[in-house]
Amino acid sequence: MYEKKLKGVKFLVGNRNIASVSTDPYNRIICKFLVQISLELKKKKYNQYPDLLSLSFWCRKKNIERLKKNFAPNDIRKGRGLIFHVAPSNVPTNFIYSLIFGLLTGNSNIVKVPSKKFNQITIICEILNKLLKKKIFYNLKKLVSIVRFDKENYDAMAYLSNLCDVRIIWGGDNSINEIRKFPLNERSLELTFADRYSICLINSFELKKINQLELKTLVKNFYNDTYLFDQNACSSPHLLLWTGKFIKTSRKRFWLELNELLKKKYLLPDKAAFEKINKLFLDILNLKNIKFYEKYDSKICTIFLSKLDSKTDRLRGKWGYFYEYELKKLEYLKKIINKKYQTLTYFGIKKNILNSFVLSNVKGIDRVVPIGQASDINLKWDGFDINYFLTRVIDVK
Amino acid sequence: MNFLTKINKLSKHHYNNSLEYKKIINDIYCKNFFANSLERVPFLPVNIFKEIDLKSIDNNDVFKILNSSGTTSTKQSRIFLDRENAKMQSKVLVRLVSNIIGNKRLPMIIIDERKTIQNSFNFNAKIAAYLGFSIFGSPITFLNKENEVDYENLNKFLIKFAEKPFLIFGFTFNAYLNFIKKIDIKKLKIKNFENGILIHGGGWKKLENKKISNKKFRELLKKKFNFKLIYNYYGLIEQTGSIFFESQKCGFFTTTEYSEILIRDKNLKVVPNGQKGFIQLLSLLPTSYPGHSILTEDYGEISNLKNCNCGSKKKHFKVYGRIPEAELRGCSDV
Repeated sequence: MYEKKLKGVKFLVGNRNIASVSTDPYNRIICKFLVQISLELKKKKYNQYPDLLSLSFWCRKKNIERLKKNFAPNDIRKGRGLIFHVAPSNVPTNFIYSLIFGLLTGNSNIVKVPSKKFNQITIICEILNKLLKKKIFYNLKKLVSIVRFDKENYDAMAYLSNLCDVRIIWGGDNSINEIRKFPLNERSLELTFADRYSICLINSFELKKINQLELKTLVKNFYNDTYLFDQNACSSPHLLLWTGKFIKTSRKRFWLELNELLKKKYLLPDKAAFEKINKLFLDILNLKNIKFYEKYDSKICTIFLSKLDSKTDRLRGKWGYFYEYELKKLEYLKKIINKKYQTLTYFGIKKNILNSFVLSNVKGIDRVVPIGQASDINLKWDGFDINYFLTRVIDVK
Repeated sequence: MNFLTKINKLSKHHYNNSLEYKKIINDIYCKNFFANSLERVPFLPVNIFKEIDLKSIDNNDVFKILNSSGTTSTKQSRIFLDRENAKMQSKVLVRLVSNIIGNKRLPMIIIDERKTIQNSFNFNAKIAAYLGFSIFGSPITFLNKENEVDYENLNKFLIKFAEKPFLIFGFTFNAYLNFIKKIDIKKLKIKNFENGILIHGGGWKKLENKKISNKKFRELLKKKFNFKLIYNYYGLIEQTGSIFFESQKCGFFTTTEYSEILIRDKNLKVVPNGQKGFIQLLSLLPTSYPGHSILTEDYGEISNLKNCNCGSKKKHFKVYGRIPEAELRGCSDV
């Protein structure tokens, strides 16, 4: 029976005996398993992959222990059962973080990876297969399946959607709308990571005060939020907001220093350079609120706006294309922030001010972090508390 | 009037007649449409024609709208022509082609099927090329029928015309597919194409994928069919009529009295001759739309040879193909 419904589905890890298993979250064996993954990834041959190094760092013993400690529910919690994960098509390691969330919360998992054969996916699956062969992890075999199949394999999509207890969709509005055509069963939940809009807030007065070394660090952190992902992560800022005095000199300092870093660190593909030129011409023709624009070689293009509005979240850039605005009062942001706004990265602003800001009547923003931490994935993501979402509560009186 | 003066006149004309062009000049080029050197002539990126309708004429004067053939993307360039511009394109095309095939119309084979021209409501680049070139042919026949080589028709043609100069026109990949791959020379009644003039263009992308260079392509054709004259042409749909032919003598493309070329780097600075970069084409032909100075997405290089053995004093250049697509990282769906 499985054969028909899972026709055309290739199993990179696991097999067609997919089980819905609900166990204890953060149990000892699962934690041990993740720490083993971390150790495997430390091998020299994987050093050329910065994202594998990040993953290794993330699931190191200390972090897993910390996460376990942070999950301290007041009631009995167990996994929900089978989670069907649909990973996004161009972040190679996203699938494994999703799997890890599913495992930590005591669930069995089937993860659909992108059709593109990323080396990182192959490597991670090799490691998973290797570890799952070990006697100690025998019981985990039924908790992990990694699959690959075409978007057009509607049978597989329908079967897995109906079978699962939770469906997690990464990869934007289009994917979500496509996959939602396949119904879940009556008790299942869905976790979706839709298109989001992220911004960056900088106090130019504070920026003026920092020395060259501190500026270098800030700019490197900004790079990690943006250029590291070609400015295409959901948490990568598109809009830079300047507050305070000395905006003119501070922003110049910022962009110039960033450009110096980019000269050494960032290779802009030719096609991307053209896309930015095209976008600049189109913005000039289409936008009514441009104050001026600036280019720093081909790596930075930025448009300084004269005003923001409800359509501001459509102003998105890639490969280093930004929009800027002088924000006279933080209050003003409340008028334009909507549900799409996800991450606000900041520099030179006191945390308590930002705290009050998000607590007040703001219609969006799920994360407020310092510049450099935009893409630090954790179990509180996109407004979801994943630990609690992926576990079910059992009430015993 | 030299080329620079003429192109400046065109910039002024478009500034005064196209609101979009005017806005671009005002906001990106600091209101400066007058250039004191070729390098300073404002240019538009080629893909802008896919996003915005750019014209310097009234809607009622639109005589023809050319669409580029969608290749990888679904968006097409839209080029708006009035009668005058369309006429000028034809006139110049005739002049340029006559330079290589002479003044008489020659019997012509088009490497495609009759159906292609007949079935299209959409006046795209492909059709424009066939119709444009068909004015040089008389009579005209088609190489293909139902996607296969029409040997009966081809042989009829060869028997009648192959002893004197005749034309074969088509797209580079179709030329490869048919002449090198499909045609079984045993099925031909005449196997010697020494009087054939092959004119082909439209890009090397597909052949690059098969690892076939221009040099190899020519070798294969000459070996199999004994072609003496093979002309590669290069041109943009956004500057139709402004066509460049590869010289038989030196293998370079050369500019004409209607065209100019510059090569720019990623930062849009003009590079010295002998250096590879992005091709910018300037043409005196676009009068009904501001397409007289376009930055393409093709790699090219201007030769730094002082005196070419072909005798032409014009700028010599090579075209290396379209820039490749870029892989985007990040986490949006694709």
